[in-house]
Amino acid sequence: MSLLITAEFRRLLATRMWGGLLLTAALLGGGMLGAMALVGPESFDPPLPGLDTEAGLRAVLGILGYTAFVPAAAGTLTVTSEYRHGTAAVTFLFAPRRGRVLAAKLAAYAVVGLAYGLVLAGTAAAALFAVAAARDVPLGLPTTSVLALLARIGVAMAVYLLIGVGVGALVRHQVAALGVVVGYLYLGEPMLMMIPGVNLLYPVLPGGATAALTGFTYLTDAMSDQLGTAAVPLLPPAAGALVLAGYAVTASALAVLLPLRRDIT
Amino acid sequence: MTGDRLAIEVSHLTKRYGDITAVRDLSFTVEPGAVTGFLGPNGAGKTTTMRMVTGLVSPTGGTATIGGQPYGRLTHPSRTVGAVFGGNAFHPGHTARDHLRVYAALGGHPDGRVAEVLDLLGLAEAADRRTRGFSTGMRQRLNLATALLGDPRVLLLDEPGNGLDPEGMAFLRTLLRRLADDGRTVLVSSHVLSEIQQLVDDVVVIRRGELVTAGPLSRLAGPPAVLVTSPDAEALAATLTVGPGPVPRVETVGAGRLRVHGWDAPGVADHAAAHRLRVHELVTEHTGLEQLFLRLTTDEVTTR
Repeated sequence: MSLLITAEFRRLLATRMWGGLLLTAALLGGGMLGAMALVGPESFDPPLPGLDTEAGLRAVLGILGYTAFVPAAAGTLTVTSEYRHGTAAVTFLFAPRRGRVLAAKLAAYAVVGLAYGLVLAGTAAAALFAVAAARDVPLGLPTTSVLALLARIGVAMAVYLLIGVGVGALVRHQVAALGVVVGYLYLGEPMLMMIPGVNLLYPVLPGGATAALTGFTYLTDAMSDQLGTAAVPLLPPAAGALVLAGYAVTASALAVLLPLRRDIT
Repeated sequence: MTGDRLAIEVSHLTKRYGDITAVRDLSFTVEPGAVTGFLGPNGAGKTTTMRMVTGLVSPTGGTATIGGQPYGRLTHPSRTVGAVFGGNAFHPGHTARDHLRVYAALGGHPDGRVAEVLDLLGLAEAADRRTRGFSTGMRQRLNLATALLGDPRVLLLDEPGNGLDPEGMAFLRTLLRRLADDGRTVLVSSHVLSEIQQLVDDVVVIRRGELVTAGPLSRLAGPPAVLVTSPDAEALAATLTVGPGPVPRVETVGAGRLRVHGWDAPGVADHAAAHRLRVHELVTEHTGLEQLFLRLTTDEVTTR
């Protein structure tokens, strides 16, 4: 098994994608969060409470959570590239027990996802504290709480990467799989939120569960304002974490079990 | 594992895709110590069969084993079987070395093996270039290098002639001969007989997923003919047909050229030397082999 994981790390680290992914994490974490903190949520449209309030702080961290489609897309891209470039056949020739290959991939990708999350959360923390100090704004939550929220976002990134791997293993066609992952997370889910009745499901959808991790109600509140409906309450953070973990386990199980019997042509 | 002689045994193998039967009740054996050609027109089911032998495609019925084991049960698959299927099989952003290092790890082969196969396939200079810039010939060689990482006892090549230049083909011929002489099992598919004719000892011919014939190439081919170019062609023809002993049938092909049926090239050369006649060129012709292959693999035209 460790040989299979070594092989997956070699496969990942030899491409340029790996560096690009960590750079993206730093740009989204440090860059985007830093920019949001610099502008201040009070200047958003519609305006939000400032960084010196808990609600304002949770809002900017919650928006960071919505960038989870990036690691999800990365997971999809790497697993489908095996089919696109025809290496899946060679891989299964060398390791005919396909379930073990996919399990090794998941283990390697979980590490990559955590590295992504760590860079994202780390640069975000650095940017947030630096900007707050520079603007002389006291943050609306104690430092430990901010770090805990960022850590949750970081772990959520790893979970999304695994969800992306699962969808990729399921769909196999690279463009189609990317369309499913990015389309759903970026467009599909916000649209579901607008449909009365269906939006009650939102708390147990991946986006809703992620929002629950940080207690981020900006999107649901904005949506209910627009539609004039009652805001859909999010799950408590722990329940949100469980739901997300459930998605990751389901996606991983699909990724491991689906290729077992399928023909590789 | 070294020295094992492992036969490929295909037994009543069948693969159906919906209404289409790609392979139907196919049985044959590929013996170790020889190069076997797997022949048939495009779409005959060669690739599907080879994918079933290597466990990539699951059969609808029947079995395929290597040394008595189905592929999925081999203890060391990449030390037992090396297989090359056509087309690309590497990430364009990987270098040749990156690619081989991934599969060295996957198969549990020492990293030193990567440099060995790069050398063996003449890829050492291109080792650190990304594969997106590789020519077709280099891709073929990298595929072959990957298959040879585990120094396997059985080698399966699907249409290796596609995209190989004459130099590459000559190299492949030498390599496969050496592997077969070492007691290994080599199966090479092609839809063009002439491409692998110089390469193979035995053939398995299929058409529409069914076995047409299998056996040594020489038995299929019948006696060869020798094409002779000689300034003394007329005198040679005269002496050849007077005996004593078995007399060949001699055909005059043109000025200074004869086709001698029933004798081999050394026989003709010795005969000419004994009669002090000059010979400029001797070519052994497997006459009718291509026609035979066409007859075996194309549908009979119904005559009324």
